[in-house]
Amino acid sequence: MPGPDLLSSQGLRLDGRRPNELRRIKCKLGVFTQPDGSAYLEQGNTKVLAAVYGPHQAAKSKSSTDGVVVNCQYSTATFSTGERKNRPRGDRKSQEMSMHLRQALTAAIKTELYPRSQIDIYVEVLQADGGAYCAGVNAATLALIDAGIPLRAYACACSASMAWRAGQPEPLLDVGHVEEAAGGVVLTVAALPNTGSIALLEMSHRLHMDYFDVVLSRAMQGCRDIEIILDRAVRDHLAEGWTKQDIVTI
Amino acid sequence: MTGHVSIRLASERVNHSVSSSNELPRFYTPGEVITGMQDFMRGHGTYAEDDSLKASVAGVMQKVNKLICIRPLKSRYVGEIGDVVVGRVLEVQQRRWKVETNSRLDSVLQLSAVNLPGGELRRRSAEDEQMMRKHLQEGDLISAEVQSVFSDGSLSLHTRSLKYGKLPQGTLMKVFPSLVKRRKNHFHNLPCGVSIIIGNNGFIWLSPQKQDVLYEGNKDEIEEYDLQPVNRSDRETMARVKNCIAALVASKMMLDDTSIMFAYEESLKYPSVKDMLDPEAMLDIAFLAQHRINNAIEE
Amino acid sequence: MAGLLLSETEKVFILHGVQDDYRSDGRSNIDYRPMELETDVVSHASGSARLRLANTDILVGVKTEIDVPKPDKPDSGRIEFFVDCSANATPEFEGRGGEQLASSISNLMQRAYHSSQAFNLKQLCIFEGKQCWKLYIDILILECGGNLCDAVSLAVKAALFNTRIPFVKAALMDGGNVDLQLSDDPYDSKLLDVGSAPLLVTLCKIGENCVVDPSAEEESCSVISLIVGVTGNRQYYTQEEETDKKTMEGKCTTIAMHGPGSVAPKTLKEAINQGIIAAKSLDEALGQALLRERQENIGFKKHSYGFLK
Repeated sequence: MPGPDLLSSQGLRLDGRRPNELRRIKCKLGVFTQPDGSAYLEQGNTKVLAAVYGPHQAAKSKSSTDGVVVNCQYSTATFSTGERKNRPRGDRKSQEMSMHLRQALTAAIKTELYPRSQIDIYVEVLQADGGAYCAGVNAATLALIDAGIPLRAYACACSASMAWRAGQPEPLLDVGHVEEAAGGVVLTVAALPNTGSIALLEMSHRLHMDYFDVVLSRAMQGCRDIEIILDRAVRDHLAEGWTKQDIVTI
Repeated sequence: MTGHVSIRLASERVNHSVSSSNELPRFYTPGEVITGMQDFMRGHGTYAEDDSLKASVAGVMQKVNKLICIRPLKSRYVGEIGDVVVGRVLEVQQRRWKVETNSRLDSVLQLSAVNLPGGELRRRSAEDEQMMRKHLQEGDLISAEVQSVFSDGSLSLHTRSLKYGKLPQGTLMKVFPSLVKRRKNHFHNLPCGVSIIIGNNGFIWLSPQKQDVLYEGNKDEIEEYDLQPVNRSDRETMARVKNCIAALVASKMMLDDTSIMFAYEESLKYPSVKDMLDPEAMLDIAFLAQHRINNAIEE
Repeated sequence: MAGLLLSETEKVFILHGVQDDYRSDGRSNIDYRPMELETDVVSHASGSARLRLANTDILVGVKTEIDVPKPDKPDSGRIEFFVDCSANATPEFEGRGGEQLASSISNLMQRAYHSSQAFNLKQLCIFEGKQCWKLYIDILILECGGNLCDAVSLAVKAALFNTRIPFVKAALMDGGNVDLQLSDDPYDSKLLDVGSAPLLVTLCKIGENCVVDPSAEEESCSVISLIVGVTGNRQYYTQEEETDKKTMEGKCTTIAMHGPGSVAPKTLKEAINQGIIAAKSLDEALGQALLRERQENIGFKKHSYGFLK
């Protein structure tokens, strides 16, 4: 099954990356003042904002005594794609994405701590260039940390694809828009790299089961790499915020 | 007669961080192992997994004997008994008020936990229940003390003291609760003539200082006094204090009466209060206030 | 934004402050809070801008498409406004919660830009009667701290100032079809003439006086607010000296009222005049900022700050 030509003869991808290379990630916590937590994340040309409100008193209809209600909304700005979108949200694609976000983040949040409360997580894609869902999960994790909400571990998401090079399968990390559009498999994984568990896995197009493991392990490697980047951003943010506070050990 | 308009560019943005002499503490991030030993108690911001204690929020560790907590940079207000809070009444219910205090569940003020006119040890009659909205209605701001914490984490408040209760004219500011220093006293009459309540929940109330004579008068007179216009000089001082707090918050500095007064004194070099909205001026004030704090610590 | 709850005494304090021409942060009734502007922040759009006014945050992207002109205006292009209230701003906007506010703002903008003296749609014409440019102006509200309309109109004008439209050669083919030739070079494009584009000024009536740039608290104290759209002055948006003095005067392109209250005709007239004066100083400040940014970007490649700094 020779897939589309995603690798050059030198082993470089369409955008010049090596197969196991992530796009450049830049992020910042606390970009807004009104929400309890917020974050901005750029992954290559994909740009995402996330805001977190809560935990706050849940609406009576939603309220649960078992744990916190996690409410997610994924929307895409109308100018974010090459072709203008007519609706920022409410279409089937965004609703599916909202559910997937919720799935991945609920696995990370320590929901049992906050009965009768609710956490609202809003992700806004400002620029979509492939992997917008992954960037959304990563940004939402940062926003949750900014809001001081207890997490089991970082939730990180990353995608992987497959290409062939000299007859050998070569998985590609962090799929960009061009590679997505060229067809071929896209495996999206949201994981808690610290514990090694997978919160969400989704695959489109076909992939031979023999190669599933290599592609999955590459995606997991990506999640671990992203965790390191997010962790560094969190520590930088703490260092900047903490310069003023005297730490009193009671 | 044209107003003041200023549009700056993103490239001219001011970085509000002020360096301080403090050494950086050790930070923990979610999922990080704090200790492998089992003889510690897990407090807020931690959880136990695989025989080790892990952090669940990003922040610094606080240890009290065997209890380990991780304190995040900011979060919703976590109430403790005896805390002074400023809250807003959301709803009048049967024999109680729902109060917004920036915690994760709405707080409760029981009818039995307020002082009603005519003696402290009076039974709450059915008439009192019907008059609840007269006492406090939706939107009203109160200062109160945390009386107890329910098992689900929501707070029960009381206002059974003369210093607590419904707030008169003034303005409310909201900051992160972690910026408020826990102190014995959270009610201050600043020397500049403004009284301030720095609620533990991050709600800060500014009002002009009250003349005590009026406590003698009856209830209607006090209410009438409450609606009198605040004079211009009080208003100016309040605006100045408000902008000083905003400057300290932008640089993430801790708030208490000392830091606010330092910032206030440093801000006097800006004669016009509205100039203090400018990001450069805010940074300048925060920087000078930090300098004063550092000096005070050294002495 | 009626969601904000205030106590009676807070309202009284704000009301007296406005009477005294001294608001709770030290501003007088005609002062704006400091703003921050950046253009060219979205690479998938032909033009974009982000404006932050205190904690009101607006992101605007302009996208272009080729369309057929309206039959009644064969020589004009088309312009369409779309406002999206992101739930990032407040949980109330989740789902369809922000739609009412969004459509009221986009209608207001549409009306303000309707007049040919406000924005010349003829510059969007490609081939009369057959083809024209259609501008989609997408406005994203990311955070609300009061005074949305003013901020939106400033951000839209900045985004239009930043918009580049490719040069197109059009030739009439047999059978009435138009053949379009787009240049391959993305820099082969033209800027729009936006100098006269209107700005909106909200005048919030609190007590008997009107204030500009109300904060969220002040907005919830007011029973009625008046929104005036005023055309801009070309002179502020170009370094060249303009001799045509006629276009200098700000003209009202739209007037709208919001809220349950009512105003006396005399107050209304005063408020409109106050709005025109405020619009003039806004326009001047915006023009200076945009020119300064353009000047900065000539020398070296633009550094995008966005949300990162």
